Amino acid sequence: MLEPVRQFINRHIELTDDEFKTLASKLHLVNFDRKTKLVNIGDVATNVYFVLKGITRRYFYRGRQEIITHLIKEGGLMGSVVSFLTGEPSRYVLETIEPVTAYSISKKDLEELFDADKKWEKFGRKIITAFFLQVEYHNINMIRYSTRERFINFMKENPDLVLRVPQKYLASYLEIQPETFSRLKHLMVKEK
Amino acid sequence: MNKSYIDPVYLDYAQKYLGRFMPINRDELLDLLQYCQLRAFDKRKIIVHEGEVDNYLNLVVKGLIRKYLPVRKDEVILQLATEGHVVQSEISFLTRSPSMVVLQTLEPTILVSLTYDKMEEALDKFPKGERLGRMILQGMFIKKDENRYNRLLKSTRERFFEYIEHHPHMLQRVPQKYLASYLQIKPETFSRLKALMSKQTK
Repeated sequence: MLEPVRQFINRHIELTDDEFKTLASKLHLVNFDRKTKLVNIGDVATNVYFVLKGITRRYFYRGRQEIITHLIKEGGLMGSVVSFLTGEPSRYVLETIEPVTAYSISKKDLEELFDADKKWEKFGRKIITAFFLQVEYHNINMIRYSTRERFINFMKENPDLVLRVPQKYLASYLEIQPETFSRLKHLMVKEK
Repeated sequence: MNKSYIDPVYLDYAQKYLGRFMPINRDELLDLLQYCQLRAFDKRKIIVHEGEVDNYLNLVVKGLIRKYLPVRKDEVILQLATEGHVVQSEISFLTRSPSMVVLQTLEPTILVSLTYDKMEEALDKFPKGERLGRMILQGMFIKKDENRYNRLLKSTRERFFEYIEHHPHMLQRVPQKYLASYLQIKPETFSRLKALMSKQTK
């Protein structure tokens, strides 16, 4: 069960077996039903999660409209990260779309690790760097690619999400109008 | 940078910037600045070209830099960095890959810069290096998330007025088309909102 976690970490920093054991001892295996709200607007997030199975969405409200900013699946890190880092109330809702199995780690445990050894600070830096780069890539891609290109890129890179996530959520995440999304989807099916 | 003399104005900007992330005393600041270098550029100088690997993190201590993404025939501005702000191609710098963005000075500019190698050295040797690095990255992450949230939540009008409220000097300092691009507002809309604003303040 821990293998995916180890693989994820290895992409960013090398941990010795002992170090990984220390980290693993702070991880808790958790399960959530679908449509579970892990974090509500106004909650202070005290955990982040590594997803083993399932999909989660992160969104906020613009009036009554749900604007989705993140879709996290297997191998991804999920949480209301800003709230987790700052201790401020979350602006977002974190809600499962499918049943989710994940490892959670608390802020308290992470901070204890950071205080304990410089190696863990480096670990923290590497992980937040990965998060940061994700956001930056997303921002740039939103500007760089046309609606059609964004749609096609997303479909290519995430064929499974198309089957598992409701269309309206995908459209929201890609910042594409639902009607445009439908039209593009039709076009894509036609082209096949 | 030479410990014997560093312009107090630059020291001040560096202290203010780093102090946002953790307490830094004067000695620690001077120690950190040893890893940095001062760079000066004329206006309209491209300091990072598209396709080049960005090797510097930069704190602007004088001047103004625009960071833009060439998109088809357009130049979409991602950042307008003035004194006290850091600016670089983060993706290029952190992943050591060719930059997708261009950095160009709009005024004569002076930067306190840190190369990738010196950053690695500082992370290793400076006692609180890793923590400071983590806190800075966290700060950047939080800022980016907030920007995205605001862009998605607020109307064009709200974003315009909020920006002008917090950065009134920018209207004089930066060509209107650049501000419009940065705020992702159509130039005509920007003009209209500006006219509205003048009316309101009379």
